[in-house]
Amino acid sequence: MMLGAAIFGGSHNNSATAIWEAGVGLETEIAQLRRGDLDALSTLLTRYQNRLYRYLLRMVRQPAEAEDLFQQTWLRVAEKIHNYDQNRNFDAWLFTLARNLAIDHLRRLRPESLDEPVGDHAGGESAAARLVSRETPALDRVLARERTSRLADAMETLPVIQREVLTLRFEEELKLEEIAEILGAPLSTVKTRLRRALDRLRGNLESQFPGENWQ
Amino acid sequence: MSDHDKIRELLPLAAAEVLDQQEERLLAEHLRTCSVCAAQLEEWRLLAGGLRRLPTPQPRGVVVERARAMAQIRLTEHLEHQWNRGVMTGLIAFAWILTLLSWPVFRFISGGFLSMLDPQFSHTWLVFCVFTTLVWAGGGAAAILLSMQQRRERSLA
Repeated sequence: MMLGAAIFGGSHNNSATAIWEAGVGLETEIAQLRRGDLDALSTLLTRYQNRLYRYLLRMVRQPAEAEDLFQQTWLRVAEKIHNYDQNRNFDAWLFTLARNLAIDHLRRLRPESLDEPVGDHAGGESAAARLVSRETPALDRVLARERTSRLADAMETLPVIQREVLTLRFEEELKLEEIAEILGAPLSTVKTRLRRALDRLRGNLESQFPGENWQ
Repeated sequence: MSDHDKIRELLPLAAAEVLDQQEERLLAEHLRTCSVCAAQLEEWRLLAGGLRRLPTPQPRGVVVERARAMAQIRLTEHLEHQWNRGVMTGLIAFAWILTLLSWPVFRFISGGFLSMLDPQFSHTWLVFCVFTTLVWAGGGAAAILLSMQQRRERSLA
């Protein structure tokens, strides 16, 4: 019991220290970037590349478009970093830049409302195929992968503003306040959007695959 | 809307872990007596768990490297632009100070301090200032137009 407590206590302290160090590291990188340090830009890009790309892909659904927006976002970071307020959350600032670019892009492509549900892809592989194709094949994970595929596909049928709130909460694991900052919306709106997105996602899944377990 | 319906609306938000303290308390109290909602919450949690475990798609290496290179170039350009602007502002300020001071200093050296109190001196100096202002404003406007033209050409390229 004591040994367990000691281990858990130690591990908790270690993880807290790691989080604190990561935060300090991020602040240092941002300060260096504001001074024009190219290495800091490179480090930040490496730190955020997967999260940012995932968010953009969830928004626009097409990898080629997400890649283009990914590049544009980093150009925007290089241009705007001097205007960044260091008291502000960097994640929220970065995702706001990416969101603005993605929304502009989607408005150019689809001038109709962004809260309309989307149809099938115009072309290319499905979300499931894209996501699963990068996973390591393993027989004991086939069922889980199948469920994941269905979930990813169902998520893609949601309207942009619902996909976005789901990815920010569940994949990026941002707090409600951070999501509200990115969306430029009050907390109550974010909550409503989140609830509706989950309702709709569950409805879609239940109508397509009744009785399925989505864990 | 009954209390039960209100609580059901909280279930997806509970699975997303975004309830405030009051909502959490309400939910906890309701769940103690309602097994239907407890089962529903479990299902929502399974869905939330599935969303959290969606695989992370990764950008291609070549895209990341291109983004890195482009952003570094843009940052360098931005810094150069800032430096140039700073140098230009400093030079203009220096030139202005030099221009405005040169005439009184010249008169002070050539005619002594009293010559500066001469009403004729103030008049001449005023004309000199207006003339210099016009020259500088003309030069500044030309520089701005040239820089705008250059920027337009660069963006078209």
